[in-house]
Amino acid sequence: MTSPLCAIELTKTFPRVDALHGLSLEVPEGAVFALVGPNGAGKTTAIKTFLNLYKPTSGNAEVLGVNSRCLGPAQLAQIGYVSENQRLPGWMTAGYFLNYCKEFYPAWSADDLASLVHLYELPLDRKLGQLSRGMRVKAQLASSLAYRPKLIVLDEPFSGLDVLVRDQLIESVLERTPEATVFLASHDLAEIESFASHVAYLNDGRLAFAEETASLTARFRQIEVTLDSPAALPADLPSTWLNPEVSGVVIGFTDSGYSDRSQAEIRSRFPGAREIAAHTMPLRSIVLALEKSAKSSRGAR
Amino acid sequence: MIPFQLNLQSGVPVHEQVAFAAKKAMISGQLRPGDPFPSVRALSKAMKIHPNTAHKVIAQLTAEGLLEVRPGIGTVVLAPPPATGAERARLLGHEVEQLTVEARKLGLSLGDLHAAIDDQWRRLDGHEEELQ
Repeated sequence: MTSPLCAIELTKTFPRVDALHGLSLEVPEGAVFALVGPNGAGKTTAIKTFLNLYKPTSGNAEVLGVNSRCLGPAQLAQIGYVSENQRLPGWMTAGYFLNYCKEFYPAWSADDLASLVHLYELPLDRKLGQLSRGMRVKAQLASSLAYRPKLIVLDEPFSGLDVLVRDQLIESVLERTPEATVFLASHDLAEIESFASHVAYLNDGRLAFAEETASLTARFRQIEVTLDSPAALPADLPSTWLNPEVSGVVIGFTDSGYSDRSQAEIRSRFPGAREIAAHTMPLRSIVLALEKSAKSSRGAR
Repeated sequence: MIPFQLNLQSGVPVHEQVAFAAKKAMISGQLRPGDPFPSVRALSKAMKIHPNTAHKVIAQLTAEGLLEVRPGIGTVVLAPPPATGAERARLLGHEVEQLTVEARKLGLSLGDLHAAIDDQWRRLDGHEEELQ
């Protein structure tokens, strides 16, 4: 079993900032693995360290079976990388740019490129510097998919794009899975929820969780317990119950380990409950609940 | 195009949502026994979901006896298999009980509940007539 991308205790420190703290993760082959987290969480640093654009301060990352410090042409020819921060040669026309990129990749397929150009409606005769942001991302993605990379790495690929363009890009990336593995960084949770097979959450350079999207949404519920009369919060609630709050006769909390047995557990803690409601939670609410819980446990220390 | 509609909701595992939409299409007659069912690729492309998720949907519906994978031909819709005793008991016992409790809690009358069930039932049938 090999993972196309994994990190063990990866740490990256800059003179003024600790960007990554002992990041460990393993991306399964064929996954669409989304690394999410607020701006400044370390997502771009993680990606740049994986791709040998930064040297790790300590720890290791292994990419396509090779230590990231030793990534060379053989691996880079199998990696498609698109970042919102990449600078493009604005004076090149889109056609010239694609032709220029072709020379670096032995596996470049003219047929694949033609269908991408067609799908994206890329104006080949226009200069990159004159294209809209959406068109520039499309040109970058076309240049990164045309050689059928085994690993596709996308750094905030969809930010600032309209929904139609976003849909096209998602479609062409999904088309390449599960033969290719996708690693993408995003701060927009709603955007990735339906198509990411795995979600990892990075905050302040630390990984809060990394798991399958389906298991994550299945184990989180916002619970509301309605009591007969106002009561204080019982002591010793399970540690999986986050952010318990009382408001009159209603007790609310986020259950991070919800299962078939949870209703019975909740009922036994609140014998006088008139009603127990368990609401499914979008990714956005799950992450908000985790952040709030992390903040309050830091405050308690 | 795939033969059923679905707007993905947040917070519910995607494969469950797609499998439910497919079942609804089979019951309402939008999908009939013998009809081709979309491939993993087609499903992934149309719904913008990971191919492994699309695969999970097809595997689940196949395990429930609603689809059959025919090598070289593709996946086809089967007639729903007769319900087992346990399935009937679960639906008519547990799930109807839950529905009844919820309805009474909200202060609905038996008539309200009957009317709502009749309405849902007819809506699934109505879809069939529309297409015929």
